[in-house]
Amino acid sequence: MTTRVMVVDDHPMWRDAVSRDLGAAGFEVVASIGEGRQAVRVAAAAAPDVVVLDLQLPDMSGVDVILGLLSAVPGVRVLMLSASGEQQDVLDAVKAGATGYLLKSAATDEFVEAVTRTAAGDPVFTAKLAGLVLGEYRRLATVPAGDAVSPALTTRETEVLRLVAKGMSYRQIADRLVLSHRTVQNHVQNTLNKLQLHNRVELTRYVIERGLD
Amino acid sequence: MPDGSAGFRTPLWRAIAAYRIAALGYLVILIVRNDRDYLHPLAAWPVLAVTIVWTFVVSYAYLEPRRRRWPLLLADQLVTMGVLIASVPVIGQKALTAGVPTLSVAWHVSPVLAWAVAGGRRHGLAAATVMGLTDIIVRGHFDQAGYTGAMLMVLAAFSVGYLVGLVDDAELKLQRAVELEASTRERERLARAIHDSVLQVLALVQRRGGHLDGEAGDLARMAGEQEAALRALVTTPLAGTAVGSTDLRDLIAPLASSTVSVASPASPVSLPADTARQVRAAVSAALDNVVRHCAAGTVAWVLIEDEPEAVTVSVRDAGPGMPDGRLAEAAGQGRLGVAHSIVRRIADLGGTARITTAPGDGTEVEMRIPR
Repeated sequence: MTTRVMVVDDHPMWRDAVSRDLGAAGFEVVASIGEGRQAVRVAAAAAPDVVVLDLQLPDMSGVDVILGLLSAVPGVRVLMLSASGEQQDVLDAVKAGATGYLLKSAATDEFVEAVTRTAAGDPVFTAKLAGLVLGEYRRLATVPAGDAVSPALTTRETEVLRLVAKGMSYRQIADRLVLSHRTVQNHVQNTLNKLQLHNRVELTRYVIERGLD
Repeated sequence: MPDGSAGFRTPLWRAIAAYRIAALGYLVILIVRNDRDYLHPLAAWPVLAVTIVWTFVVSYAYLEPRRRRWPLLLADQLVTMGVLIASVPVIGQKALTAGVPTLSVAWHVSPVLAWAVAGGRRHGLAAATVMGLTDIIVRGHFDQAGYTGAMLMVLAAFSVGYLVGLVDDAELKLQRAVELEASTRERERLARAIHDSVLQVLALVQRRGGHLDGEAGDLARMAGEQEAALRALVTTPLAGTAVGSTDLRDLIAPLASSTVSVASPASPVSLPADTARQVRAAVSAALDNVVRHCAAGTVAWVLIEDEPEAVTVSVRDAGPGMPDGRLAEAAGQGRLGVAHSIVRRIADLGGTARITTAPGDGTEVEMRIPR
């Protein structure tokens, strides 16, 4: 079964280039869209497995597009691409549910591999993204959490995430920590899951507190 | 004096005008009450007329910032001294010595204040000294009570001059803040524009041509390098840090390139400005070291970590690494490049730098700077 991919980018040249690369790599590009609103509308019908999303769209914030996509197609995986990598935007998008992040300057094979991994459910963590996630856990540890418990990393997870942030591959990390490749992958996955869960809880609480539900 | 200070000094000029008019009122009452003690009571009235006219003329003239310069200030000082000195023939030295107030009592402080506002402490003190001496001589009161008035005037001039310094300083700071805000906004606007066009195209060129051989491939790789440099330039954190401290990310981000990746938290990592500069220099030295000792194109990663008790910065490269003891050997040979500029620099900040390396596993420098 081929992986269905939707490309959302406001830059037509990029959209074409990315679609071409994906097609050449054996993916099925089911939609290629330039606006966030339209992407959210089309998503349910297009039913993609993976959305390759430019984080900076003219009409909607990255977070809103991701939330819209996730509610239209539950379980869809979102791989973010961004040209400038504004850190807070990237972090917010990951917390909202994106599972991977690449700079647009990434090489084609790197990009294709990232889409493959995203489709398989593996988070695509660049060193940059790992640094952001690590920083976010440390920030959450310092702010008073109220009655809820802030998510925290285990010692092992912190160790793994730090090594990812230092640019090491899962294979290198597995060798250094004497773990299996799969275990390293699970640790990384957990760091992301906890953060996204915490974000959903926070969001729900916020909605209830404001009486917006 | 800077032109811009006209704005913040204006209230002080108004205060001088108010003081001058109030002092004039006081003066009129004193003259009316004391004129029978004067040597030539009738002569007091023309002098008072001059005082009144000058009060309004000069108060009006000072309203215009252009005129708050030495010709008018000097005229003010001289006219006021003239009125003061006129007390001698009008009131008579005997009455003055006996304690009858001069024809410009209290009013004669106004030009001194004007000098202090226009020129600061020094001008104010000079004007106060001249006016004070004249006052003492006119009154012929060479005792404690005689000096007190002059002394108060000197103190007033000093305080007002000092205040003007503060006012100018505050205005300068405000102006800088406004400029900074404007330039930040402009930078954000440029960043958006660059993001929407140039970065995208450069990244695309690199992507389409990066795998080609020869000149086309070189061009694509150059585009990639420029893309990385430009991205580092326009990626500016939006949140601010406390006064006197620097966001370490701002200093480290420009070190990113097509071969150097910088990972950091999304929120500011504030360190004292000087500490941050030292850390940047150490990171820079570590990256230079990668360029010097590893093959061209060797990739390096910088990680900034912010914890409550310390900031940790790691620099790791994907180079060949060094066998055990190579660093110690280099130090033994007196080649202290790495040890000196990194370990010492960080030790000076009260932190520790640890260098780990193994053949085939790259080199990592981990710097920990306690808060």
